[in-house]
Amino acid sequence: MLPRLNLKCLLLASAFSLAGMVAHAETLRVAIGYDPISLDPIATSDNGSIWTQLLIFDTLIRPDKTGEGLEPGLAESWTVSDDGLTLNFKLRDAKFSDGTPVTAADVQFSIERAASEASGWGRFYRPITSFEIISDREITMKLAEPFTPAFNNLALFAAAILPKAQVEAKGDAFFDAPVGSGPFMLTSRVRGSRVNLAKNPHYWQQGKPFVDEAVLEVVTEPSARVIKLEAGEVDVALDPPLNQLKELDAKDGISVGQTIPYRADFVQLNTTRKPFDDERVRLALNHAVDKNALVQGVLFGAGKPAASAMPVMAYADQNLAPYDYDLAKAKQLLAEAGYADGFEAQLVVDSGAATSRNAAIALQAMLQQVGVKLKIQMLEGGTQWETTKAGNYDMSVSYTTSDTIDPDQIIGFVAVNPERANAYHTEWKSDRLNALYVEERKTVNGDARGAMFKEMIQILHDGAPYIFLYHPASAWAVQDKVKGFEILPTSNFRLEDVQIEN
Amino acid sequence: MFLAISKRLLMLIPVLIGITMISFLLLQIMPGDPASRAMGTRASPEELQAMRELWGLGKPLWVQYLYFLRDCVTGSFGMSIFHKQPIIDLVAERLPFTLAIVGYSTVIALLIALPFAILAAANRGRMLDNVIRQIFVVVVAMPPFWLCYVLILWLALRMGWFATGGVGDGFVANIGRLFLPSLVVGLSTAALIQQSLRAALIDTMKADYIDTARAKGLRGREVFLRHILPNSLISTISIIGVRVSWIIGGTVVVEKIFSVPGLGSLLIDAIVSRDLPVIRGLTVFFAIMVVIVNLITDICYALADPRVRLE
Repeated sequence: MLPRLNLKCLLLASAFSLAGMVAHAETLRVAIGYDPISLDPIATSDNGSIWTQLLIFDTLIRPDKTGEGLEPGLAESWTVSDDGLTLNFKLRDAKFSDGTPVTAADVQFSIERAASEASGWGRFYRPITSFEIISDREITMKLAEPFTPAFNNLALFAAAILPKAQVEAKGDAFFDAPVGSGPFMLTSRVRGSRVNLAKNPHYWQQGKPFVDEAVLEVVTEPSARVIKLEAGEVDVALDPPLNQLKELDAKDGISVGQTIPYRADFVQLNTTRKPFDDERVRLALNHAVDKNALVQGVLFGAGKPAASAMPVMAYADQNLAPYDYDLAKAKQLLAEAGYADGFEAQLVVDSGAATSRNAAIALQAMLQQVGVKLKIQMLEGGTQWETTKAGNYDMSVSYTTSDTIDPDQIIGFVAVNPERANAYHTEWKSDRLNALYVEERKTVNGDARGAMFKEMIQILHDGAPYIFLYHPASAWAVQDKVKGFEILPTSNFRLEDVQIEN
Repeated sequence: MFLAISKRLLMLIPVLIGITMISFLLLQIMPGDPASRAMGTRASPEELQAMRELWGLGKPLWVQYLYFLRDCVTGSFGMSIFHKQPIIDLVAERLPFTLAIVGYSTVIALLIALPFAILAAANRGRMLDNVIRQIFVVVVAMPPFWLCYVLILWLALRMGWFATGGVGDGFVANIGRLFLPSLVVGLSTAALIQQSLRAALIDTMKADYIDTARAKGLRGREVFLRHILPNSLISTISIIGVRVSWIIGGTVVVEKIFSVPGLGSLLIDAIVSRDLPVIRGLTVFFAIMVVIVNLITDICYALADPRVRLE
């Protein structure tokens, strides 16, 4: 009789304790705009996937909260040799969410996988040509020739560290129920609807995450995300409509925040066509645009004027000022170039991007004042890309975002010609800038490399193959009880730092 | 009957071949390179080329078409470039929600439309008839996106009776969750049904056999339930058929606002991301659904009205 009673007590006790745990389980609910497509870090480039992966997996090093430097991730310390050819990492005592330790073999496997043919990000990691496992907790990577961005690229989601044994055993099926060393682990997901995450009990940051569970609710409509927040169905709403920010902030129990992520918006100018081949015309256009008015009118104040087509990131020159709004100077420059009466041009814009559309209409009115008549042509996003790529345009409202914290990728894209995009389809080129680009990639991180970037950005600013517009902010809105939520300049967010106050 | 249905199913084959050809060729004309869309704007030419090879985008058109036909016949409808899953799996994840809205909204539409149609027909030409008609004209004229937000702000946010969107786990949870989206879709269906059913009821009331029924001494109620209503509902069947075909792929706005992962938003997302296999596969899938719905409509017609034959 006694043992049975004991068992009963035990069952009862455990039932109570379970009930207690359930009652105390804190869940953070986040409304996000994108449904993750896949949790395989080397197969994706969409925001939903990247943000979710970064909650489940860790990288060796990661961007710090300012977005301009790096901080330890799974590697607690590292050294880079003076010639930039040898990278050494010491791993911290970390475990995957199933309790197995993270080892140097996992690191080698993951980076080699990220460099493989199957990877969408292979070119970022192929410069690393060999690995040497020194111990379970120490690994050295070697490059055949100097390529500084390779180190910084290890902070990218694509270089997430995966458990070798499990990925090899399960293949692609691993990513349906992934195991990582990040703050959260996947419990279940309903495609197109939500991702359920639970705290990783083995997470290496003591005491984090603060919440027990997190739910990413996929709500693609920005207004619907705000409504969900107001109804108390979610604790955090990402990217609320910018025109509702002020109103939201004024509401009781809700506060909003914003960050300037790695993004720059601009108008591409086709420098193979007249009159955009004349630098004076390009400068005139830059002086004729009131960037502050655009930030207020188009972004509802959530952003700042841009001085360049480069996002504000590592090695950015904080002192470089945007072109001032000066109609007299613009008119004078146009007159010098022989366009005293202005000219007509076509402005291509993505019909699906509301902000760009509004910016185009504002630009039309602003440039009218110096006699430049714009005809706005709305094209579907994919078509716009094809049109500018083919060089079949005068002006096009566009933007760029950076995947990595190293500015190498993005400067190659918006300023170098010939390169992948030939200075982003403006066909503008500067030999000095091209030479600096080659040099920068061989120079180890530090002041010398920083000076090269500053010079390149200055040349881009002076050459003005774009009308530089603004850096729009990424905004969020939270219930007041949510503490510590922020969007990082890399556009993702660290839910492990978030607390819910009761 | 069985023979007639089999015949109709056989006639499907040429229709479907036509549809596969048209959807395939139209997408070839569509500008936008799926490889550069998938790889992001910063991919190198070599990477883009590798991607095109992988998806067979560089193969001759007729070869690509034959691959597509093979995928349709084997039932996978092709592989999604973005989701890297067979399209039929993507459809299977979303179809339950779409079908739920189809069914739910139709029930709501009938519950609203039937009483008002009967009331209007019984009072034809009078004040009440006019008021009902005006109300339904307003309902049919309301833009769905506006109605969605009004319902959310009023019933979900102010009154707190419903969730503002999203789907739940299991059947019971979704009865509440899918009510508002189904109501929006159902209201416009109701407006269409009410108007046609009212007209049909009035027509039927004037028919000779109704006079006969009355003459042989049936009471008003019995005449109505046994003769007038069944004979008038036939027009309603065809309206429901047309609406169902439309709802399967056409409720994108409602799906987006209420965050319902349905087939409509799958199609729109695929168009935006240039996921050609998904656009193609879904077009064919929708076509099959429309043909099947039409067939079911015709069968219902034949069952409801013995004079109609399935030929």
